[in-house]
This record gives sequence, C-alpha cells and structure tokens, in this order.
Amino acid sequence: MIEFKNVTKVYEDGTEAIKDFSLEVREGEILTVIGPSGCGKTTTMKMINRLIEPTTGSIYINDRNIKDYKINELRWNTGYVLQQIALFPHMTIGENISIVPEMKKWSKKETTKRSDELLEMVGLDPSIYKQRKPSELSGGQQQRIGVIRALAADPDIILMDEPFSALDPISRVQLQDDIKKLQKEIKKTIVFVTHDMDEALKLGARICLMQEGRIIQLGEPKQLITNPENEFVKDFLGNRNSPWQITVDHISDKNIDNIIFASTYPAGNYPTQGIYVLVDESNNFVKLLVNGETVNGKTIEYDMTLYDATELLEDSDQPLFPVLKEQKVVGVLTYRRIFGYLKSKADKENGVIR
Amino acid sequence: MDEFITVFQNRQDMLLETTLEHLQISMVSLIIAIAIAVPLGLYLTRYPKAAEPVIGTSAVMQTIPSLAVLAFLIPFFGIGTTPAIIALVLYGLLPILRNTYTGIREVDPALKEAATGMGMNSIKRLTKVELPIAMPVIMAGIRTSMVLIVGTTTIAALIGAGGLGEVILLGLDRGADINLILLGAIPAALLAIFLDLILRVFERMSKKAGIKSFIAMLVVAVLIVVSPFMFNGSKQPDLVIGGKQGSEPEILINMYKLLIEEELDVNVVLEPNLGKTAFLFRALQQGSIDIYPEFTGTAIVTHLEDQAESNNAWEVYEQARQGMKEVYGMEFLEPMEFNNTYAVATTEEMAMQYNLQEIGDLKQIENEITAGFTLEFNDRYDGYVGMREVYDLNIADIKTMEPGIRQNALSNGEVDVIDAYATDSYMIELNLVTLDDPENLFPPYQGAPLMRQDTLEEYPELEAILNQLSGKITDDEMRQMNYQVDYEDRSANDVAREYLINEGLLDN
Repeated sequence: MIEFKNVTKVYEDGTEAIKDFSLEVREGEILTVIGPSGCGKTTTMKMINRLIEPTTGSIYINDRNIKDYKINELRWNTGYVLQQIALFPHMTIGENISIVPEMKKWSKKETTKRSDELLEMVGLDPSIYKQRKPSELSGGQQQRIGVIRALAADPDIILMDEPFSALDPISRVQLQDDIKKLQKEIKKTIVFVTHDMDEALKLGARICLMQEGRIIQLGEPKQLITNPENEFVKDFLGNRNSPWQITVDHISDKNIDNIIFASTYPAGNYPTQGIYVLVDESNNFVKLLVNGETVNGKTIEYDMTLYDATELLEDSDQPLFPVLKEQKVVGVLTYRRIFGYLKSKADKENGVIR
Repeated sequence: MDEFITVFQNRQDMLLETTLEHLQISMVSLIIAIAIAVPLGLYLTRYPKAAEPVIGTSAVMQTIPSLAVLAFLIPFFGIGTTPAIIALVLYGLLPILRNTYTGIREVDPALKEAATGMGMNSIKRLTKVELPIAMPVIMAGIRTSMVLIVGTTTIAALIGAGGLGEVILLGLDRGADINLILLGAIPAALLAIFLDLILRVFERMSKKAGIKSFIAMLVVAVLIVVSPFMFNGSKQPDLVIGGKQGSEPEILINMYKLLIEEELDVNVVLEPNLGKTAFLFRALQQGSIDIYPEFTGTAIVTHLEDQAESNNAWEVYEQARQGMKEVYGMEFLEPMEFNNTYAVATTEEMAMQYNLQEIGDLKQIENEITAGFTLEFNDRYDGYVGMREVYDLNIADIKTMEPGIRQNALSNGEVDVIDAYATDSYMIELNLVTLDDPENLFPPYQGAPLMRQDTLEEYPELEAILNQLSGKITDDEMRQMNYQVDYEDRSANDVAREYLINEGLLDN
C-alpha cells in the first residue's frame, strides 16, 4: 500500500534524520512507529503526505510514486491527525469536519450526511455538537473530532502523529479503544506514530521500532517482546515487559542432570527413584520417567510465554516439564526455576517490594 | 458653557463642513494605509527575512513629527489634501503592518500544518485559516491606526487640507479661544469614537463571515469616501493666493482677490490660514500657490538668511526685492504702509509700575520677570538674541510658546512681557503697551505680495493691480480691521471689501 524505497532525509543543518529507509505498510493494517525522540519517526510519517520531502529515494502509494499524484489530491486522500489536535478555533465542529469534503467538492447533502454519520460513530450527538466551537469541547472530545475530521472525506490512508499524547490517561485509553474498534469497521491503512510503548503494543498490528533514522526491528508486538533484535529493543521495551512475558526457553534448566538417554537403559531397566526426561539419540523427547515408570507427561514449547506456560502448569501435578524445540529437548522447567526467576525480577528497595 | 453654545450655533456651518472634510481625509488615509499595510504584512509573513527592515522603516516614519513630514512633502506635492493624506498614510502604516505581520505569524503553527496537511494551498490556508484567526489582531491594528489618523488629521489644516484642525487653529490664533478649540477638538474625538464603533461592528461581523466582511468593509468605506469627490467637480483655479495663519493675511488676500477679479477674468482661489512660514514659502516655490503676502523683514531674515542693512523701510524693501529676485527668481511687489514688526509688549499696569518705556528699561527688573516669547522670536537675531546683545538684557525666566497663546499668558499674569506683532488686534483688546526700540533692533516688517516670476509673466497686469495697495493701510487701520475679524467676528471678505470701497479702489 505504502512503500518506502531507500529513503533518506538530510536537513539543511546537516542532520541525517532518515538513513536508507525501506518499509512497506500493508493495506488495512495499523502500523505503529515508535522510537526515542529524534529517531525520525515523525519525519517518516510526514513524508507520506509530503509535508516533508525526502532527500533521496522514493515513496509509493499503490505502486505509484507520490510525486506523481497532485499534491492536494494526495493530501485529501490522506487523513492527518495531529498531536496538537489543531481544530480550527474559528470554525464550528461541523465546519471543521467538512473542510476536506468541501475541497473535494462533495455536495452539501453528502457532506452533512457524512459528518453526522462520523459524529455518531464516535458517540457525539450531531444535533448538539455540530454547531459548537472546539473550545466548548473537552480534550478527549476534541481529538475525537480530530480523528473524524481526518476520516471525513473517506481517505484510504490515515496518518496519526502521537494523537493521544496530550490527553489525560482516561481519555487516552478510551480513544485507543475507539480506534481499535473503528479500525475493525473501516479497515483503513493507518500509520500511527507514538512514543508510548503500551500504545504501540496495544494498537499496532505491527510495530516499527526506529533509532537514529533506521528501523531497528519491524514485527508484530509479540515478536518484539519475545525476540528482541538487540539490547536497544530490550531496553526500549524496558519495564513494560512483564516478567511473565518471558519465553520459557530463557528460564528453563539447561542442565542435563534430569535428562537420560533411553538407549543407556536397554530392556527398560530405568532408575526407580526420581523424575527424568527420556530422550533418544538425537535428543528427541521420548517419555517422562516417574519413579521408574514411563508416562506421557506434559511438555512445553520453547517459545511459550511464562504466563501461558503457568496456565498449563496449573492443571497438572507434574513437578518437572520438558521444554521442547521441534521435538528436541532444550531444557527443563521446574517450579524452583520459575520462583527463582520471578524473585530475580522483583526489587526490594527501602523495604518496599516492587 | 453658554459661550460654547453660542460659538457652536454661530459656527454650525463651518463645523459641519470641517467635520465632513475631517472624516473624508481620515477615511481616505486609513483606507490607503490598510490597502498598503495589510497586503504588505501578509507578504512579509511569507518572507520573514524582509520583515524586520520593512517594519523598522515604518516605525522610523512614525517617530518623525507630523509637521516635519508635511514640510518634507510640500516641495513634491505642494499644499492641500494630497500631501496631508500621504503624511497620514505614512503615519497610519505601522500599527496595521505590525499587527498584520504579528497576527499571522502568531497563528499556531500546528493549525498551519493541519491546514497544509489537509491539502489547502497557500491562498486557501491564508483566507480560510490564517486571516480569520489573525483578524482580531489585525483589526486592533486598524483601530489604533484610525485613532492616530483621526487625531493627526487636525494638522492637515496647516497645509490647507481643511478638517477640524481649521477650527482648532482658528481658536489658537484667536488668543487660545477655549470654546473654539473645544469646538474643533470635541467633534474630532467623537469622530474617533464613532469610527471605532463602526470598526468594532465590522470586527464582530468578520468573526462570523471571515474575509468576506473585511472586503465588504473596505468597499463600503471606499464608497462613503469617494462619493463626495465625485460631486466635487469644481473648475481648476487660475490663481491660488495663500496666506499665513491669522486674520491679517486673510484680510489682505481677500483684498488681492477682490482687486484681481475686478480687473482680470480669472478664477482666484484663496488658501488662508496655512501653517508655518516655511510651508507657505515651499508651496509657493513648488507652485501649489501663486501669490502670498510676505513681510519684507521675513524675506530678508528667514528666506535670504541675511540681516537688514538699514532700518529705513524703503531700503529694507529694496534689499528684500532684489534678494528674492536673485536668489529665488521671485517678484516682490510694493509694500503696504503698515509695519507689523516685532514689538515687546507688556500690560499697562506693568508699564506704569516700573515706568517702562523702552526695551532697555527692562534691564532693571530682568531677574524678576518672566517673558513669554514665541520659539521663533527667542531664536532670532531680530528677536531675543539681538535684545541680549543690543540692550544687554538677560531675562531670568523665559517661556517659549505658540503665538496664539502668549497674549492670554500675559493677561493672566503668567508672564510679564511678550513679543507681539505691532498690528495684532489684541493690542487693542487687552490694552497692551509696546516698548520703544530706540536702537532699531527690529527691522521693518511691511507686507507685500510675493510671487514667482512666471506668474507675473503670465499675468503682467498683476503688478499694476496689486501695487494699488502700495503705501496704503496704516498700522492703525490694519489693527482695526484685524480687531473686527478677531473680536467682532466679521468675515475677512467683508472687511476687505469695505476697506477697498472706502478707498475707492473697488466699485460698490
């Protein structure tokens, strides 16, 4: 849908904001772009509606270079929501919503119908709110209008530049929920810039994590958390990464004390005390050995989160769980390991446990 | 209060006319200032690098005193409405320019970006977003400018552009006649309030209707202002005779007009009560007036920057005539009899108390008295500078003031001596005593018609016509005529006509 091909941006003062940037935004997805301030996330977004021109490289929308679109038409078909909300204070809510439809020469009837529809969609009664001025609305209501103003002329793409960061936490969560719900109905391609990791995780079908003008990692939220590309990604996810998010792979016991090869004990002459994991020559899981008797037992996939794993563990009185990767045993998970890990993630500071 | 009402009733016609003129001049100036400053301000917001120098320049223009701007403009535009409007426009530019620039610049950048991001082009963004948001600031600038212009328009009267300044100047000239001054000042203030009210209404409208009402406002204002011009198709005058402020020049130029129109088939227009001597002289050089009565002494001291070589009236005139011809190519026809020289005057009581007869007698009380002199007198050799040298005077306390108010200061006892013009009417009214000048410090100031050579070449008959007044009108006759105009409120034209008829120079 939107494709960046080897885009760079060097500002007049020599700052390299974007370095050899390539990215494809898929049709109908919400892509959240996140990174520390100065990473180039806003620059990237503003290049799509040509508020900023790339220094080299090209951007394509539907396989057509954006420079080949008439700039006004490009912008009319690209909704834009700003952090500062930026409703025009001298116009009523109705007028604010109608700006792009009017420029696109929609009929009055059509425009009115559309704005009523949109107002209802975000839960604001048109008969009450249409004639009001932006200053008469709360911050949350204003940004709802900001969002539907961007949607007014039914654009294919919507750009959102940290749209909820100026709102109070309650309104922010409400609007995030609204956007999620809305997206299910309208299926627009949304590029959503944010600096809030929770928001990025919550809204993004995919997350594009940027640092110093480059993409560090691009992927689904789960991928970033379970497989961070490097320390920077881990740091950036930071404390937002609950200890429960960790994959069992990381906390399993790699020690082989509890693993025994089936071939060592021909004719099933197994030890009669203790619990062991039986594997074959290629380290594939065979069975669990409990006090000399083999049982099927429960196993855990290596990339399962601890949270999901404990759900499994809860239903079982098995004290030890083999961790498998493609049927090969890569470790053993025990309650002792889990407690040890969780304790290591908690801090005790001045007597307060966090 | 009763007096004020009487003055008001007597001058209703003049008041209506000058108020309309005032409104017209102010409005034209304001509209031109808006038409220049608003687009310029908008342009500067797109090229901010040019903004500081341009706004700086307009700020400098505002610091120049309006009188100085007028003096500067006369050589190019002469006298009358045009230079007045130019000066007022220059005056009114800054507030509008600065507020337009600031207003647009201070529109929240997020709003500008939103407008651009939504696909508005530069013009649409300007008219739909920036102008409506900046409108209150721009209108505030226009209103400030309007008050400035309406106030400053009072000086337009100094260069014959009319307006309420005429009433105020007349009041100042008639010994600071409070009633007359108020009669001019109050309508000027009311006019400013009235226009402010109208601008407020437009501002409120512009909030609703945006840029359209702003344009509507301009169109309406242009119609109001231009329509009087359209019915004002008066024919071009052949000769324009100007006169300085005061009744005496006005009487004299009326005599000139009566005499000229009696003999020649020409249309003579009078421009009485023009501001400073320098304005009048420049206007004569520039050609917007053709003749004005000038004093022989002034011609030598002010225009030729020389000193009188003699105190004989005829020799002084000859010196002035030759000088004006050689230096400026101007003809100075023969002077009249009266000598409106500087005089040092005091009250009768004061003269009695200290036995004052000559200027030199002031020496004995120089540390106790306060003198009220005009700025000009204080600075001239044939004024106080010469008095110090010739009569060895060193008056302890000197207050400089406008000519029109010093006689009041004297009669109120605020000052003890003043400089006066020998033929001024208040000499009679206030019973003043002039001190003798045995050293002949003050050269003769005899009035005579001054004109450019080309005027005389075009109308050679003028010499014979105007020289009919040569040697006529004594000091006392002049004083009496001035008195009739100043204190009996007769028109200068009637007084002039009566004199000419009595002298047999004009048929009844």
